[in-house]
Amino acid sequence: MSEGYSFASLPLADIRPGTTVLVAGPIHGGARELGLRMLAGESDEGAIIVSTNERSSRIVEECKRVGLDVRADSTAILDCVGDEDQSVPARVLPLSGPSDLTGIGMRFSDVYRDFQGAGIDRVRTGLYTTSTLLTFNDLQTVSRFVHTLVGRIDSVDGLGILLIDPSNHDERAVGTLAQFCNGRIDVRDADDGPELRARGLADQPRDWTPFDPTE
Amino acid sequence: MILCVDPDERARTATVDAFDEAGFETRAASSSATARRVLDETDTVDALVTEYELPDGTGLELVRDARELSPDTACVLFTAVSLDDIDTSEFGGVVAEFVSKDDPDARAEVVARVEQSVALQTQTAYPLPEDEGARVAALERYAANPAELGDSIDRLAELATALFDVDSAAIGLIDAHEQRFLACHGISFDPVDREDTVCTYAILDDGVTVFEDTQDDPRFSGNEGLAAANIRFYASASLTTPDGHHIGTFCVYDDTPRTFSERDRHHLQLLADEAMEQLELRRQLKGGERDV
Repeated sequence: MSEGYSFASLPLADIRPGTTVLVAGPIHGGARELGLRMLAGESDEGAIIVSTNERSSRIVEECKRVGLDVRADSTAILDCVGDEDQSVPARVLPLSGPSDLTGIGMRFSDVYRDFQGAGIDRVRTGLYTTSTLLTFNDLQTVSRFVHTLVGRIDSVDGLGILLIDPSNHDERAVGTLAQFCNGRIDVRDADDGPELRARGLADQPRDWTPFDPTE
Repeated sequence: MILCVDPDERARTATVDAFDEAGFETRAASSSATARRVLDETDTVDALVTEYELPDGTGLELVRDARELSPDTACVLFTAVSLDDIDTSEFGGVVAEFVSKDDPDARAEVVARVEQSVALQTQTAYPLPEDEGARVAALERYAANPAELGDSIDRLAELATALFDVDSAAIGLIDAHEQRFLACHGISFDPVDREDTVCTYAILDDGVTVFEDTQDDPRFSGNEGLAAANIRFYASASLTTPDGHHIGTFCVYDDTPRTFSERDRHHLQLLADEAMEQLELRRQLKGGERDV
């Protein structure tokens, strides 16, 4: 098996290839930054970002802020928002919207194949956010989509990061989606800054641990 | 069984051959209509592999129908059409895999994708128990034919409705894709797709599961089957084999939300254990007959 996915300057141990993690916490309280920071990897890795509610240009700005190197040959954005911005230094693939789960899944497979053809075998995939998908689709449909995506990420030895803000949803819906993932990282906005703790993942902090939301 | 749908005879044959060589049973179809007939007539289609352009519709329309007829079937669009030319917007909720026929090893890729999707059941709309493979294997050892069980299980269901003062009770087994009922009292069920039954979630945990009001739970609030059967309250205890696999449930239902005490939970578990023992004894009896 290839080496685990590493996370520079985050209090996280390497994660085994094929793993998908649900990152659950307040979007504006560190969870979004953590989710994006977890996409930043070695220079030979690729990143696929599913953006459900932010324009590509905005996502790219955020990525740069957290230290993710955005390059057209190794970064793809599956854009559910529209407003295609040609100046974005990433490969932007438009989708009709956050209810087009079929399109998102198929585009993921297609982009992954392109990366593979270009010699990029290690790919981190981020879904920002799963909350938007739950707003536009019923839980059962999102469940099938997430189950299928997690299966794909597993089969290609990728890394999956699914971001969700649990305060927007019934805890049973969040719990159901967590069951498709290999583990879960909870984020909270503490007095001194954001903290994380992991569940279901080997060698990760089980107690609340502070992290720096920027690089 | 893998259902391969492609109007082009050469392409279809090549796809069928690839799955044959990988050890799968296959069926071939050249149109949506033929494919739909197969999906409708059999419940053994593990995967649907379809071209996008079909003489009587599109592959995505066919996948949408497959989700109705056989929801757990792994669906793969295996096509020469570019994704740029496929409008998925009307089919956003069907979810399917995509493999391009332009891939250098397209058929090896589609076989690998199907193998993985079928083995791990990655297209179900519900979480699977961690022991799913062993669980389904264990289930096959137990009575599948309700007629063989005589009246004993029916009696337990009747007793449960009286004991808990509920509308109805049912005892069912949950196989790879469906829940099939061995006994019902006060209610009648045909087999139910696993994604539509509450018990799918109940067997994920040990012990007794209670949903005081199913309408209050995001997993079931839109469930048409529950609404049609007038079920609001649900409680169940797992039927657990001696080696620990949850193969089914003993359920009680009511049309009104209500509570369920610790004592009720204990009694429901006793009933489930009694039902399981009936299944176990009959399994041993059948095994004994074979040995004679």
